[in-house]
Formats: sequence, structure tokens, C-alpha cells
Amino acid sequence: MKMRSILMVGSLVSVTLFPALAQADADWKRGRVYYRMVCTQCHTEKAGGAISPSVKSKAEWTAYFQADKHAKGKDAVKFYFSSKFRDSIKATNKAAAKFSDVPEADLAEDVKEFLQKGAKDGDAPARCS
Amino acid sequence: MAGTADHSKFEQLKKPFKSGPEVTKACLACHTEASTQVMHTSHWTWEYTNPANGQRLGKKTVLNNFCIATTPNLAFCTSCHAGYGWDSANFDFSKQDNVDCLVCHDTTGKYRKAPGKAGHPAYQDMEFPKGSGKMIKAVDLNVVAQKVGKSSRDNCGACHFSGGGGDGVKHGDMDSSLAAPEPHVDVHMDAAGLDFTCATCHKTSGHKVAGSRYAPMAMDKEKHIRGRADANPATCQSCHNSRPHKNARLNTHANKIACQTCHIPTVARGGVATKMSWDWSTAGKLSPEGKPITKKDAHGHVIYDSRKGDFVVGENIVPEYIWFNGQVKYTLLGDKVVKGEKPTQINRFEGSHTDGKSMIWPVKIFRGKQPYDPINQTLLVPHTAGDRGTGFWDNFDWSKALTAGMQATGAPYSGKYEFISTEMSWPITHMVAPKKDALTCAQCHQPQTGVGRLDKVEGIYMPGRRANPWLDLLGWLAAAATLMGVLIHGAIRIYVARKNPAAGHH
Amino acid sequence: MGEKIYVFKRFERFWHWSQALLIITMLVTGFEVHGSYTLVGFADAVDVHTIAAWTLVGLWTFAIFWHFTTGEWKQYIPTLQKVDAMAKYYAIGIFKNAPHPFKATQLKKHNPLQRLAYLWVLLMVGPMLWVSGWFYLFYDQWIVWGWDAYLSLEWVAFLHAAAAFMMLIFLIAHVYLTTAGHTPTAHIKAMITGWEEVD
Repeated sequence: MKMRSILMVGSLVSVTLFPALAQADADWKRGRVYYRMVCTQCHTEKAGGAISPSVKSKAEWTAYFQADKHAKGKDAVKFYFSSKFRDSIKATNKAAAKFSDVPEADLAEDVKEFLQKGAKDGDAPARCS
Repeated sequence: MAGTADHSKFEQLKKPFKSGPEVTKACLACHTEASTQVMHTSHWTWEYTNPANGQRLGKKTVLNNFCIATTPNLAFCTSCHAGYGWDSANFDFSKQDNVDCLVCHDTTGKYRKAPGKAGHPAYQDMEFPKGSGKMIKAVDLNVVAQKVGKSSRDNCGACHFSGGGGDGVKHGDMDSSLAAPEPHVDVHMDAAGLDFTCATCHKTSGHKVAGSRYAPMAMDKEKHIRGRADANPATCQSCHNSRPHKNARLNTHANKIACQTCHIPTVARGGVATKMSWDWSTAGKLSPEGKPITKKDAHGHVIYDSRKGDFVVGENIVPEYIWFNGQVKYTLLGDKVVKGEKPTQINRFEGSHTDGKSMIWPVKIFRGKQPYDPINQTLLVPHTAGDRGTGFWDNFDWSKALTAGMQATGAPYSGKYEFISTEMSWPITHMVAPKKDALTCAQCHQPQTGVGRLDKVEGIYMPGRRANPWLDLLGWLAAAATLMGVLIHGAIRIYVARKNPAAGHH
Repeated sequence: MGEKIYVFKRFERFWHWSQALLIITMLVTGFEVHGSYTLVGFADAVDVHTIAAWTLVGLWTFAIFWHFTTGEWKQYIPTLQKVDAMAKYYAIGIFKNAPHPFKATQLKKHNPLQRLAYLWVLLMVGPMLWVSGWFYLFYDQWIVWGWDAYLSLEWVAFLHAAAAFMMLIFLIAHVYLTTAGHTPTAHIKAMITGWEEVD
């Protein structure tokens, strides 16, 4: 637990102080799993359809995260990476359960990194699944 | 991440790299044996000699009924070679720097071998296909080199998911859905579950990767678990042993039936279609303006391409089932092929219920029509990719493509060509489903002809499938006769009793 | 109305009806496993058939014990006495309301034809079913015991199914002949209550 909080603080520091560094260390593969198994799954089941990473350009994805408006501003994108959100679905969502200990900021960076790769002008434009 | 070395701290890697071989040189400065190890594997040689029958196989030599053969098309095909620069027969297989470390050890997902570059990535931004306006961006070798790590599913998948020229095309049980699969696609690779990499089963040591379809292990009766040096770590049994079920009756099934038969109920389950057939004979139809065309089906899958011909694609494909003992015999270039009513087998999976070495295996049988020399009675190899004035994909001229292709192979060509029906079998072993999705009893134990999964598999008695017809005829006739007999007997009794009611009561 | 005698004891009646139920269950599920039709599904048919088989094994263990301790096994000793009379009765007499040539007693509860029929079932059909059934049931172990070299599942299944057809034929005839007592329901009543009406 102590270890985790040190990690949390550490990663928070690194995200705040060295955003560029955090970006470079992001784990796009973990981002891919979270995007597919959390974002895509819920969008498919409850929001009327999945959104492929390749529907937006890299700049559009960056802007989307910057604006932090989910569902046209109903809530924050950030919320969907929070421990609170992950805890609320982890009984039924294996990916949320698996990554329940990952700091919020790290997870968000991972997904951002995946979307940069999977964007329509990214290195590997990706479909929703 | 779990390693003991952070490659971004290595001075040798903190310099700009102009080419892949330069990176390799830097790698070899520390990993002194790596290139020699790689050079002994078929990832490098593209050669394999079947110890059982001496056939010389490997990507360098074999034919298939997809893009047919590599020899005339090397610069394109070798974008899946673990090396740099193999664009002709003059390639130096002994030059250490020619080994490509990054294709298997990149963790950024940014390293990609470019089409037509003989295994090199794009060092400058390049347009591909030419005139399409689509750009392949130059790779930053410095970033990639500093982020090397263990091979992941994405590394293996870069080539193996796209066998046959595109995602999921060739195998059916391997496609990009395995990069981060859900449990129903692959219970072992389940990204939020067990999360196996390819190398978890294909346990690799000194760059030697275990498990090969040129010499597959059809039957593993060892009761071993992994760790024994002389055992194959890639079989199901190496972890699960040969009697893995709680139910003894299911374990009996494992005496004759490969695990894959029940536990891979269908292939292409991850949303990526696989090709089921490819008819080269219809290739070359152009638009009125003389431009190549493509046709797509309702799902957006290409079903006709001027460069390649007609395709049949499918998802959730039910495999076919055969007795298989691990021996595969190939029809190679130069082997005499007689055009008959039955399709030519490009590879034949051997086995029978009597040889004691065979199990019932699922296979994907890929059917096609491909060029054939009716005079020499051999299969033909076309030059397809790359515009040197003869490549079929740019010129749509079979005669030129076949002449150039056969010239590259050095094999004789009469100048006449036809198309011949061929079949090629691919073993099914990936995409193992969760146990709740395994086949149920009645999917094989099925009285109706043509319905059961193992309907066509001979040499076994399966309760519920095709009972002895004479026994059934005689048995049911005798039962019916008895029934008729007692009914008639009873009817007479009732009739007599009615006619003579006094006698009917005691 | 004639007098009544106590023919079938409580255990015998229990044995008869539970055995009847098991045999019918095994015929229904067995022919499904054989591939004659689809009713409950192959997997369930196999399970039910197997459970019924083991239950029957248990029942027979008791029955054999009972027959020997009570001496009732003698009921199945074959006799040729009056066989011709019984055959003549079923072929002719029964239609003319002739008197039944056999009088069941506690000591002789089966008529001569019955004895032969049951003996055929007991010595021919039964062993065929039991032996082939045991082999079938333990197919799992053949390879362990080294029997797989000598046995063929196809033949075991063939014999098992052939015997099952004979059992089916016996069942049809048997059910019909229950109506051929002194009154059409006399035999059935006897097997339910134990008491048979006799003339």
C-alpha cells in the first residue's frame, strides 16, 4: 500500500513536472486493452456503438483529451480513468479489475498513446476492436 | 519493463542511426551471439529439411496457393524476413549486420518493414502504393533502438498475423485480433486474463522458437509438464498433460482426438475474416479506363481484385477434420502434377486411423486456382509484386509474369499456361476457446449425415453416428412385427369377445 | 370371482417395477445414443443411460441376494411340461375363453412359456446386454488395461444394440401378455398388489 502511494506520488510528480517524459513512457499496449475492453465495451453496450481510434486524427484526439468533455460535456473524460470509475465496474469488467491499481494519470497517458498510434494519421490506424 | 537493463541509458544507442544494419551492429556489440543464433533459425534461412522424407521446404522453396512463391518477388516477400537486403539470390546470408533485431524486439510499435524494401523499414517518408497519396513515415531508429525488449504478440503478429498478404488471410486461427484478444477469442492470450504472449507456448531459447508447422507434433502422449529439455513445449499436453479432463470419458477422447478439435470450435472468431479460396484465373479484369478494380462484399471484405482474382472470405469458419500424424508432404516446383478431376494437393497431411501416430485434427483447407504448365506438367510461379515491366500486379500480363517468374526460379517453362485447382491444408491450433465454448457431444455424435463435425472422418466408431444399417433394419422390423403380432392377437380377442359376450366374462 | 392368492411379494413387486422403469429408460436413451432419434440430446442421453445402468447394477445385486436367500430362483428353472398346452392356449384357447391351463401359486408363479421366455431373457438377452454394456461402460479403461488391441467398440456397440432390440421385442410381447391372464387386468393387478385372482 505504501509502495503504491509512493508510486502514485511519483507518477503524479512525473506527470506534472515532466509531461513529455510521462508521454514517452506510456504503455500503449495497456492503453489498447483499456480502450477496447473498457471504453469500447461500454460504448457498444450502452452508448449505441463503438468509436474507432481511426475516426479522429492525432490532433483531434489530443484536443479531445484537452477539452476533457465526455458525452458532449455531460461529464469529464478524466472520470473514466479514475479509480472510482474502475472500482464501480470492476466486478463485471476484467480489464478494469486488472488495472485497478494503475494510477489514473498513467492509464490516461497509456490510452492517449494508443490513440496517437491508432489515429487516422497515426502509425497504425486502428479499428474499434 | 521487467528486464535488468534500460536500453535508453546505453551510450551505444544514444547516437543517430541511418539504417537498420547500423542498429544491428550496435546490438551485437553486447549481444555477441545473437546474430549467429538467429542465423540458425528458419526465421533467417527460410529453409527447412523435413527429416522424415528429406523434402527441402521453407519459405524460400515451397509453393502455396496464395501469392504462390517468394523467389521472383523477394523484395516484397522479404519484408517478413528477419533480415535486411534480401532482394535477390545474391543476398549474403553470412553477414551479421544483415540480421534484423528490431522487427522482433521493438516495443514501441513504430518499427515497420516497408513494402518492397527487402526487409528495410522506411528511412525516408515514402509514398505507398505509388500514386496513392498514402505515406509511410520514416522510422526513428534511435527511439526504437532505445526501447527494445522482449518479443510481444505485436512483434510476432507483424508477420504471422498477416500471412498470405493481409490480416488473417492465410491461417484463420491467427490474425490481429490476437494482439489484445478478449477471452472468447483466445482463452490463453486474453488480454485482461492470462495474457499469454506467443512465446509463452512457443518457448524460445537462444532464438530457437519451439513449434513449427513444417514438422508439427500431431500426438503428444507424454505425461510431462513443461521444463523437460527434450520435450516440445508448444503442445497443449506440455502444460495440460494428456488426460486433462475430470471426466474419464472425455480423457478417452483425448486418445484419438487432438485437443484443438473440440477446443477450437471455429476460427476467424476475432472479427477478422480469413480467405477461404482464391481464384487467380479471373485476375486481370480492368475497368473501361484500363484501371484495376476491386469489389467488396456487404461486410467490406474485398472479394475481387484485378491484381489477384476472386476471393471467398469468411468469419467463424468451421474447420475440416482429418487424421494427421504430423507428416506433411509438399508438391514442390518441378514435381509432376497431372491435371485431373480432383484438385491438386499443394501439401498433403498424412495420417490414418491405423498408423497409431495419428489424431483427428482440425484444418483449414484453402482452395484455389493457380497457373499451371500443361506441357511440362508443373505448377508455375509468377512474378507478381514489383514493377520491372513483368510483375502481374502492375502489368496484368500472365505470359510476361510467368516467364519472368519461372526464369527467376530457374525451372523450365513451356510458355503455355492454364489454371489448375489446388488445395492446401493449414493446421488449426490457435484461438483456443474458453471451455464453455468447446464442442458439445452432439456436434459430433450426430445421426444425421452431413451434420456432425466428424461426419467424414473414417476409421472410428462413434456412438450416434451411422449405426450398422442391417442391424437397424432387422431390429426395427422384428420389433414392428412383434408389435403387429400382439395387436392382431389382441384385436382377434376383442372381436371374439364382442361376438360372444357371454364368454368374455368370467 | 374366484379366490385370490398372494403371488408376488413386496420386494418382487418393487424389483419388477423399478426394473421396468430402468429398462424403459435405458431403451429410450440407449436408442438415442445409438443414433435412432434425437430426444433429450446425446450428452444427456449418455448420462441418463449410464446412471440407469449403475442403478440397475445396484438393484440386481439386491435381487440376486433376495432370490438366493428366499429360494425364489427356482421359479426360473425351465420346464417343458405343459409348454404345448400354453402355446395352444395363446394360439386358440384364449379366443374361445378356454380355461387358462396354468394356475399360478406362490411356489409356481410363472407359466411354462413364461419360464422359457424369462429364461431366454435371463440367459441370452441379459448376458449379452450386461457383458457388452460393461465393456461399453469401461471403454475409457481399455487402453489402460491393454484391451484396446483385442476389442472393437463397433462390435461391442453392435452386440449391445442387437440385444437391446431383443429386449424391446420382449418388452412388447411381455406388456401384451400381461393382458392375457384370467382377466385382462389380472396379471397387472397381481404385480401391483401382489394378489392374483384365480378361477
